Amino acid sequence: MIFIGEKINGTRSIIKDAIIERNSEYIKSIAVSQAESGADYIDINAGTDPDRETEDLLWLIDMVQSVVDTPICIDSSTPGAIKEAIKKVNKTPMINSINGDPKRLEDFLPFIKEKNCSVIALALDESKSGMPKTVEERLTVLESIFKATRKIGIDDDKIYIDPLIMSVATDQSAGIVAFDCIRQIHEAYPKAHITGGLSNISFGLPNRALINRTFLTLAVAAGMDSAVVNPSNTALIESLYATELLLGRDKFCRKYTVASKNGFTVKK
Amino acid sequence: MSIAEMLANLEDEAVMAEVKKQISDGVEPMKIFEACQEGMNIVGKKFQDGEYFVSDLMMSSAIFKDVSDVIKPLLGTEGEATIGKVVLGTVEGDIHDIGKDLVHAMLSAGNFEVIDVGIDAPVDAFVNALKENPDAKVLALSCLLTTCYDSLKATVEAVKEAGLTDVKIMIGGGPVDQSVVDFSGADTYGETAQDAVFIAKELM
Repeated sequence: MIFIGEKINGTRSIIKDAIIERNSEYIKSIAVSQAESGADYIDINAGTDPDRETEDLLWLIDMVQSVVDTPICIDSSTPGAIKEAIKKVNKTPMINSINGDPKRLEDFLPFIKEKNCSVIALALDESKSGMPKTVEERLTVLESIFKATRKIGIDDDKIYIDPLIMSVATDQSAGIVAFDCIRQIHEAYPKAHITGGLSNISFGLPNRALINRTFLTLAVAAGMDSAVVNPSNTALIESLYATELLLGRDKFCRKYTVASKNGFTVKK
Repeated sequence: MSIAEMLANLEDEAVMAEVKKQISDGVEPMKIFEACQEGMNIVGKKFQDGEYFVSDLMMSSAIFKDVSDVIKPLLGTEGEATIGKVVLGTVEGDIHDIGKDLVHAMLSAGNFEVIDVGIDAPVDAFVNALKENPDAKVLALSCLLTTCYDSLKATVEAVKEAGLTDVKIMIGGGPVDQSVVDFSGADTYGETAQDAVFIAKELM
């Protein structure tokens, strides 16, 4: 399971305040706790106004890299900010994100190929309006994305597909659509990774953590192998250990038993 | 139990049965409709108090729509009389729909007629909708992405440039606060879907 630590995101008000106040100690502490909890990548999203986003993003990268070696997942919807950030990172980063928009693909893919980055690909086409509703719409977009990445020579295993998980409170088929989607993507692109944030699914409902981790269990069974999460969330991690165990992916149950002794607090 | 209480308790089948019964008993359709609106107000309050969740809000608007479909045709010309028209949409570049849909549901339940131009809506979509509906005096813009504040501002400016200066503009969405109102030139903002109803009434 590949974890992308989600906590350094300026759309959360506590992080936004830390960015504005340049509270480096707070940002560093969040980076360290995610790295110690086994994050494979640390997502960094400045989320501030466009006129200062690049500067804030670069500052955040500096802060994180000053305390951990974990690769960075550069999270922005501004191409210029991403390109500046790539120059700054010490390790090959992940880019969050591309989508089926042909202009965006044309702009980004040569860059991603050159830097050998991993990249999160959203199963939507920004140049066409709207969130995809069905599994078919998502697969159609992914087809055009993979056509483009393969053409330029990016390996499938560099691609982390985000199937776009919706809210079950507003659409009760959101869970089923996600699992169907994950299953079909996994079949069509077995080498590619499948990732995504978990918080959408539980939007507007009580006890969201319970819904999130139950969703993750079912999604992993369907073929999801990565997630954008808070890796320090012990309840989530322990249910993931149990899931892998029950799916027959844990020889002699060693990972589970060892993790259990450690209170499931550290992934690796 | 009254219709308002049944709706407030989300008893969908009971609400519909009672509505039909009252219609056949000859109760004035407008009275029944007002009872449903009262029920929706209670739902909104329960949501604000944390007793109800988003899925409850969605269910209440589905019930309200079903009973409206039955009652509205009976209201005659009286049924046409809404409080006012609101043009609603999520600004260009932003594809979030949940918040906008909740505002749509709440405004409809509050007896507003809503012209919904959808998500990722270009500036022209808003301007055209306002021109086609000159009686729409409120524009509601949803924006959840900080990167779309420019698009929000562009929409507000386009509306003013089109000479629609008497249209009041309210905005909303996760990170939207007074600073975004100042930045975009909109008139005001709301924090919840329920707020949208009160604010729209004030702006009328």
